[in-house]
Amino acid sequence: MAGCRKFLAGTLRLYLTCIRNTLEAAMCLQNFPCQEVERHNKPEVELKTSSELILNPILICRNEAEKCLIETSINSLRISLKVRQADELENILTKKFLRFLSMRAEAFQVLRRKPVPGYDISFLITNYHCEDMQKSKLIDFIVQFMEDIDKEISELKMSVNTRGRLVAAEFLKQFI
Amino acid sequence: MSAVAVHQFAQCITCHAWSPDHSMIALCPNNSEVHIYRMSEDKWERVHVLQKHDQIVSGIDWSSTSNKIVTVSHDRNSYVWNLEGSDWVPTLVILRLNRAALCAQWSPQENKFAVGSGAKTVCICYYEQENNWWVSKLVRKRHNSSVTSVAWHPNNILLATTSTDGKCRVFSTFIKGVDTRDSKTSSSSDTKFGEQILQLDLSYSWAFGVKWSPSGNTLAYVGHNSMIYFVDDVGPSPLAQNVAFRDLPLRDVLFVSEKVVIGVGFDCIPMVFAADESGIWSFVRFIGETKTPSSAPKYGSQFSEAFGKFYSQSKYGVNNDGTENSRQRGGIHQNCINCILPLKEPGVSMVRRFSTSGLDGKVVIWDLENQDDLFQ
Repeated sequence: MAGCRKFLAGTLRLYLTCIRNTLEAAMCLQNFPCQEVERHNKPEVELKTSSELILNPILICRNEAEKCLIETSINSLRISLKVRQADELENILTKKFLRFLSMRAEAFQVLRRKPVPGYDISFLITNYHCEDMQKSKLIDFIVQFMEDIDKEISELKMSVNTRGRLVAAEFLKQFI
Repeated sequence: MSAVAVHQFAQCITCHAWSPDHSMIALCPNNSEVHIYRMSEDKWERVHVLQKHDQIVSGIDWSSTSNKIVTVSHDRNSYVWNLEGSDWVPTLVILRLNRAALCAQWSPQENKFAVGSGAKTVCICYYEQENNWWVSKLVRKRHNSSVTSVAWHPNNILLATTSTDGKCRVFSTFIKGVDTRDSKTSSSSDTKFGEQILQLDLSYSWAFGVKWSPSGNTLAYVGHNSMIYFVDDVGPSPLAQNVAFRDLPLRDVLFVSEKVVIGVGFDCIPMVFAADESGIWSFVRFIGETKTPSSAPKYGSQFSEAFGKFYSQSKYGVNNDGTENSRQRGGIHQNCINCILPLKEPGVSMVRRFSTSGLDGKVVIWDLENQDDLFQ
């Protein structure tokens, strides 16, 4: 069991390192005003007004259930994550938990209010974030988030199971 | 260490420009204002604030002989500021743009300036004596995307531009009544305004930061795919060289001599490129890099990695428990450098000192003293 977990941790590390290196290269953003609309300055990755300002998206997969899509444009970057959901319980926990976070997107600044279709959670990083915050810290935040989310979900699952067991035990006591 | 002065002017600087005698600096602190600082008694003192734009100022250039400042902004306007008494008086330039202006540069003779814009055009502006304003002539329908950078050839006629469509172009900007046809400056002055001399299609990604060498023989620009391009013999049969490097893309370049180029960009540390005797360009080194102990054992064996971990733990008392943090180069700038300017001494052809500014709000003055190997 321990060996298995270690192996998993190893692949997770590789997956995260790959994402970190990709982000490092992708997060080269600059202030860039809109070419199509007068006096506008919007994230190009969201509006997609000019195709030449969008770079090729990068998809990093750990397995079928866990993947990360990085879309880059000249002034913004979108990171979309799909989190592992082994069973229905994990599915509902992930949904609820990430919805909870998305509703508080303002507090996180780089969190997108709605995930990109097909993904569980998305981040939107613009050139303004890169001006205010250190790039390395931003990347650390994303990677730390990915590292923690699995832990968080499995802890939630564990506590739901424990609670379920307790409730069942309490309930069944009356029949003794 | 070749950085001789570092000063934190603001939280973030988009661009800066020096007064002719280098005693004053004009910079945009990432908003619609331009601040002018003067060095007095070893301290930078803010002497003027130029407020006229209503969006972020994207380009500043200070002419060296006529002492005029041109500013361009995302609000589609441009002003030429003239010092009258103790005040800077703005003159509106009729750019006739309908998108943001992105960059500006005075021509070598300072009778014209060029503005690159998000409207996929380049404006060549000149002063009209009879109307007492600056008017612009547009180079239209040549660029397929925003013009990110402009550079004047020393002959005052040719203008090089880079664009986010990945191309670098060279235009003739001969304006009747402003430029005089000079028999000495060969064929370049025979062409009419807006004629495209050359289109370089080297980059697959956005192009930035175009510059001419001091003699005007070589052209350098950078691509967002971590490449720098050098073009010799600009004309019908140009000679191009691509130099790829392993670090993050550059934003701007500067020729310090015919054979040495400094590039700055997202790696937060200036890079030196040089040409050897046969004219082959290559990356030489970083300037002012300080080694951090954590980066040293990165490519070593397992043992040295463990040793490095122990070493950094014992020395700094931090526990980096396996989570490797993002690479950070020990440079002076903490964020992307987006502007590099020469600090030219009058009468000296070689640039020994230059300044850089970046999104970390610092202006750093660098000196190439003790770097004599670059100039051999």
